Amino acid sequence: MSSRSETDGEPTAESETKTASEAFTGRGLNRVEDRRILTGEAEYVHDKAPDDALHVALVRSMHAHAVIESIDTDEAEAHPGCHLVLTAADLKDDYNPMPAGLLGFEEWSLADGKARYVGEPVAAVVADDRYVAEDAVDLVTVKYDTEEAVVDPREAREDEVLVHEDHGTNVGDHEELTFGDPDAAFENADRVVEGSYSWGRISGVPLETAGVVAEYDRDTDSFDIDCNIQLHTLVDDTVYETLGYDPDDVNLEVPPDVGGSFGTKIAIHRYCCLAAMASKELDRPVAFVEDRIENLQGGDMHSTEREYDVKLALDDDGTIRALDVWFVDDFGAWPRYPINQVLKPLSVLTNAYDVQDARYEYDLVLTNKTCQTAYRGFGVPAHLYALEMIVDEAASELGMDPDELRRRNLVSPDQMPYELASKNLYDSGDFPAALAHVRGKIEEERDGGLLDPDLVESKREEGKYRGVRPTVHIEPGVSGSDWTNRQRSERDELDDRDRDDVAELPEHLRAEVREDGTVRAFLATDSSGQGHQTLVTQLLADELDLLPSDIEVVYLDSVDAPTEYGTAASRMAVMLSGAAQGLGDELVGNLELLAAEIWDCESADATYRDGAVYRLDGGGGDGDDSLSLSELAGEDRDRDADERLTRASYDYEHPATRLDEFDEALARKFPVYPTAAFAANAPIVEVDAKTGEVEILKFYSLRDCGTQLNPTIVEGQAHGGLAQGIGAALQEEFAYDATGQPQAITLFDYRLPSIENVPEMELDHTETPSPFTATGAKGTGEGGMIDGPAAIACSVNAALEPLGVTADRIPFTPNRVRERIRERGTED
Amino acid sequence: MSTDDTSGSLDRPTEEITLTVNGESVAAEVEPRHKLSDFLRDARGLRGVRVGCEHGVCGACTVLLDGRSVKSCLTYAVQADGAEIETVEGLADDDGSLHPIQESFHEEHALQCGFCTSGFVMATKELLGENSDPDDDEIEAGLADNVCRCTGYQNIYDAVNRAAEKMDGRERDGEQLDETETDGEDR
Repeated sequence: MSSRSETDGEPTAESETKTASEAFTGRGLNRVEDRRILTGEAEYVHDKAPDDALHVALVRSMHAHAVIESIDTDEAEAHPGCHLVLTAADLKDDYNPMPAGLLGFEEWSLADGKARYVGEPVAAVVADDRYVAEDAVDLVTVKYDTEEAVVDPREAREDEVLVHEDHGTNVGDHEELTFGDPDAAFENADRVVEGSYSWGRISGVPLETAGVVAEYDRDTDSFDIDCNIQLHTLVDDTVYETLGYDPDDVNLEVPPDVGGSFGTKIAIHRYCCLAAMASKELDRPVAFVEDRIENLQGGDMHSTEREYDVKLALDDDGTIRALDVWFVDDFGAWPRYPINQVLKPLSVLTNAYDVQDARYEYDLVLTNKTCQTAYRGFGVPAHLYALEMIVDEAASELGMDPDELRRRNLVSPDQMPYELASKNLYDSGDFPAALAHVRGKIEEERDGGLLDPDLVESKREEGKYRGVRPTVHIEPGVSGSDWTNRQRSERDELDDRDRDDVAELPEHLRAEVREDGTVRAFLATDSSGQGHQTLVTQLLADELDLLPSDIEVVYLDSVDAPTEYGTAASRMAVMLSGAAQGLGDELVGNLELLAAEIWDCESADATYRDGAVYRLDGGGGDGDDSLSLSELAGEDRDRDADERLTRASYDYEHPATRLDEFDEALARKFPVYPTAAFAANAPIVEVDAKTGEVEILKFYSLRDCGTQLNPTIVEGQAHGGLAQGIGAALQEEFAYDATGQPQAITLFDYRLPSIENVPEMELDHTETPSPFTATGAKGTGEGGMIDGPAAIACSVNAALEPLGVTADRIPFTPNRVRERIRERGTED
Repeated sequence: MSTDDTSGSLDRPTEEITLTVNGESVAAEVEPRHKLSDFLRDARGLRGVRVGCEHGVCGACTVLLDGRSVKSCLTYAVQADGAEIETVEGLADDDGSLHPIQESFHEEHALQCGFCTSGFVMATKELLGENSDPDDDEIEAGLADNVCRCTGYQNIYDAVNRAAEKMDGRERDGEQLDETETDGEDR
C-alpha cells in the first residue's frame, strides 16, 4: 500500500467542537486541502519533475488535413541539448495504437501518415529543458501534402472528403432509439412544433494544463507515471494497452492536488504514453507539461459540438405527447471514449416532463477538428438546452404562457420514483414546488426590483430588453454500470443480454488505525478540487466518533487501488458516503473483535464508542475496562499484515445494483443514473439590442441534491457549475474557419468567465433525500453546468420576445444575437 | 550586469541578476529569455507560482514586484533585476499562522482546485494595500486580471471582504498597542 500525501491541513478550531447530538456530516466544515494550497506547498503534477528529468515538446501539425510526406529530424537531433526525436515510425515497432472509442480505428500516439487536425502531434522532441526542446522543435522539417478539410458537421455526413479513408464514411456511429410509440403520438397530437438549435464546441479548460512525469525502471521493466489524468484507475487501460504492458507494470499516480479537470483530463493518455516511451528509450525521467496554446488548439480537450433538429407533439391544451430528438455530434478527428456523451442524455431524455413516447437519433461524425473529451455534464447540457428551446417554441405557437406549459407537464411528486421512457429512474423530488419557488423570487423582483414594469419599460426605451423564464432541470447522478461500452459492443448482441451481464462499479475505501491513535483512510479515486479528503474526513469522524483532526485521508495509485470508477458523473459524494458508512461499520466490528480477543471475552461484551472499545462484562477489573485506538493498534502490530483487525476495507455498491427497477435499462445498456438532483433556475437577463450583449443581472436558483453532506462544498459546486454554464451560454467557443483552422487558441479568444462576467447568484437549497442511496445524498458535481445554459437561453429569448427574435446558437455571443436582430429587421 | 556564455556548446548566453525574493537576497545567472515565472518556480522552488496560460490572461502566476502585481509569465527574470518580489510563500508568519487573506480564502471556501489561488491571494494583497475597504465594483476591478474556473467568484468576493475586515481589525489593534508608530493613514 502506498500513500501519496499527508492531509496537512487541520480543520479550524471552531469545527473541532462537537456535541453528542451534532454530527460533522451535514456541516459546512472547512476543507483540509486548503492550507497546503494557500501556502504554496501543494504539489501539482507541474511541480513533479525531478532535477534530472528531460522535457518534451511536440511538433504539431499546422494543417487540418494533410498527408505527411516526410519528417526530417536530423537537424533537431544534432541540436545541443536534444536527446531524442520520436515519430510514428519509431513507435510502431514496439508499441500499440491508443484504444479508440469505436471499433475499427487505429490511432497512434503520433500522427501516422496523415495529420487530421491542427495541433495533432506529429513528432516528440526530448531535450534538457522545455526551452531547448522548443528550439529543437523548430528544427524538425515536416513535408505535408494538404487536402481539403472536413469542417461542417452536417455536411460531413455527405462524405465528399473523408477524414478516415479506411472507414469509408465520416459517420462514425449512428443510432435511432424509440421508446413507447412516438409515431402514433405524433400522428394523433393536435400539432407538431419543430426547431433547430446549435451548441458550439466548448470545454472545461481547467487552469492547470495536462502534465506527466514518466520514469521507466529497467530492473523491473515497469513504469512509474505521475500525471493529472482523471479516473486514473478506470482509464489506465488507455496507457498500459498502448505501451503493451500489464496493468501492474504501469503505475499511474495522480497528485492529491489537481488544478481542475471537469472531465476533460480523462483524455491525456497520449502524453503519458509519449513520456513513458521516451523514458524507456533514454533511461531517464521524462516530463511533459502542456502549454495553454497546445491545450486549446490540439490538446484533445474540446467537448460537445452539436446541431439539433427537435420536434414536439402537443395537444392544444398544452399536453406534451411526444418528443423527437435528432442531432449530429461533431467528434473531431478520432472517436475517443467520450462518444458516450451522445447517450447520456437518455438518462434525462424528457427532463422534468412526463412524456412516455420519444425518438432519439444521432449521427456521430468525424471532422478535421481536435478530438472530443468529456466535460462536466457529459453531453446533457446541450440536450436540455435543445429541449427547453423547443418547449418555449411550443408555448409561442400555442399562444400559451410558457410557465403554464411547463407546469402542466412536470412530473409530480406522487409519481416518484418516476420511470422515464428511456428506462432510467428519477428517485425523488418535487419539481412543481421548485418551479413555484423561483417564480416567487421573480414576482418579488417585479415589485420595485430588477423587473419593475416601469423600469423594464424605461430600459426598453434605451434598447435594453430584460427578461426571465424559469425552468426546471434534472442532474442525473452516480453513473456506475458498464453502459458506457455500448458503442464498442456489437449492437445485435445487445438484445440477448440480461442484467447479469452488466458490470456495476462500486467505490472502494480502506483505512487503518495507527499506533498514535489516529486513523488513516485511503481513497481509490483522484480528485481535482472537490474536497474529497474533507468529505471522507468528516464522514469517518462521525462513523468512528472521532474528531476530524484524528483522521488523515490519502490516495492510492492505479496499481494499489482496485479498478473502480472514481471521480465522474456527480458520483463521489454518494459513493464515498456509502463507502464511509460501510467502512466505519467494518472497522468498528474488527476493533470489537480484537478487544474481545485481547480480553478473552465474548465479542458482544466489547463495544466501541468515542475512539475506544469498552468492556461490558466487568471482567477486567480496575484499569482494564477499555482499550484506546492507540492500544489496539499496538496489540495488533505483530499480526500478519493481511490479518490485522485494525485495518478494514469496504466497497460500496452502486445504488442501482440491487434495485429491480433498473433491470431494463441495465440489460439494454442504457445509461443508468440512480439519483436525480434537480434545480429550478431564473436568471434575470438584459439584452442590449444595439450591441447584442447579454448581461445576467441576477441568478436565482433553487437546488436540491438530497442530503447535503457538506453544504459549503455543495454551494461551491453550484457556484462553479453555474459560472461554467454562463461561460458556455454566452462567451466560450472553439470556433473553426472553413479550412479547419482553430479560431480560439489563446485565452484571449477562448473567453473564460472572469469576475466581471459572473453575476450575483442567490441560491436556495432544499433537501429531498434519495431513497436509493445510503445517506440520501444525490450527485451534485455537474449541476449548474448542466442546467445553466438552458436556463440562460430561455431567459435571453424571453427578453428578445418583444423583438420577435429567437437566439438559437449557443454561445449567444453579441455578434450572433445581433445577427438574429438584423435578420428580423427590428433594429432601430 | 554581465553577459556570459556559460554553456558554450549550447550557445545560451546568460546574465547575472540580483533580486530580493520574499525578503531573501538572491543572485543568479539567467538566460534573457527565462521567464520570471519559470525562474521563481524552477530556480527558487516556489511552486506557489502557478503557470496557467503563459500569455497573461489567467493571472495564476501573479506575484508582487516592488509591491505591484505583475504576471510573472509575461515578465522576464532579467526585468526583475534589483526588484523585490513577493509570492504567496512569503505571506504566512514564521510560526505558520496564515495571513488574514489566506485565512479568509479558507474560511469563505474561495478555492477549490487551488490552481488560481495564489494569484488571487497576491492580487488581493495589492488591492487591499491600496484600498482597505473596497466595494464590489472595486473588488471586481482589482481581480479582473485573474481567472478562476472553479468557484464562480462569489466566495472570492466574500473572502476579500472578510480579509479587509480582519486586516482592518488587526491594524486597529496594532494602533492601540503602539500608538506612537501609527498615524492611522494606512490601515
